Amino acid sequence: MITGEQKPLEEIKGFLGDDRNVLVVGCGTCVTVCFAGGEKEAQILASSLRMSTKLGGDPKEVSDVTVQRQCEWEYLDVIEKEVQEADIIVSLACGIGVQAMAKHFPEKWVVPGLNTNFLGLPEEQGLWTEQCQACGDCVLALTGGICPIARCAKQLLNGPCGGSENGLCEVKRVKKDGGIPVMETDARGRKRPVMEDVECAWHLIHERLSSLDKLDLLMEVQPPKDWSTSRDGGPRRIVREDLLLLDEG
Amino acid sequence: MEGDCHYLDGNLAAKKRVKYIQRVLNAIGMESDRIAMVNLSSAMGAQFAQVATEMTERIRKLGPNPLRHSPQAKAPDGPDASE
Repeated sequence: MITGEQKPLEEIKGFLGDDRNVLVVGCGTCVTVCFAGGEKEAQILASSLRMSTKLGGDPKEVSDVTVQRQCEWEYLDVIEKEVQEADIIVSLACGIGVQAMAKHFPEKWVVPGLNTNFLGLPEEQGLWTEQCQACGDCVLALTGGICPIARCAKQLLNGPCGGSENGLCEVKRVKKDGGIPVMETDARGRKRPVMEDVECAWHLIHERLSSLDKLDLLMEVQPPKDWSTSRDGGPRRIVREDLLLLDEG
Repeated sequence: MEGDCHYLDGNLAAKKRVKYIQRVLNAIGMESDRIAMVNLSSAMGAQFAQVATEMTERIRKLGPNPLRHSPQAKAPDGPDASE
């Protein structure tokens, strides 16, 4: 699923400018499941914007509506009236939904209320982890269902680098809580972000293939990856001639 | 007491949610002290009275809800001061 985190309220308020009528639009699919932009979050954001702008002496009219999916035209048609009544739209969808809104309502100013993060797995309640980079040429059959493209810092294809130690990557991750870096004070009294360990994807791959007696898969040297299926060729698209509607003209 | 809840870990979950609400209040521009959580058992009447008194004094110092006295927006259907 696509994961996201809501932008800080101050940043969203900064988008509003002098516009008076604000419509917060939630999305009922991926960002609902990751608790960032569903109906509940749209209501909380609308309420927060009403209270915050009122406290700031520049009260705005803020309403909210949530559609099943912001990335499909048919679900956008049903909020036409609400959109037309608003001066500005704050979309709580992923980047796809924001762009769909802007394209579907070209005369309206649409701004994002989320930062879209990654294609991830809800491993447990409150924890999402990146699993896929949509590279367009899946290698999971070679690596036991563990992706070295998304989960290895160097995107290696032929085993771990020298930085793998005790199953951990040499690259650490900034620890965050609710999108905010967790800070600590060092011995000199300076604030710094808390870093946390990241599992070495290739260690995980080796462990898994070993347990399934499939280590021989790793004996074949993989050539450099063909990145033409990924972002290197610019924005990608899928065309299915069998599904395209007939040109009635 | 913290971690010793009739609903098992319910008070630990509530603690995290109170922290989240404090963060929301801060972002809005309201004092996060307007919400607090304490852990007491049903046999701690005196402590309950003390905590309630302290909370009342804290809220008195913070003053009334500022949203009740700020300029009114022509709110749509949604609530405002009572939110």
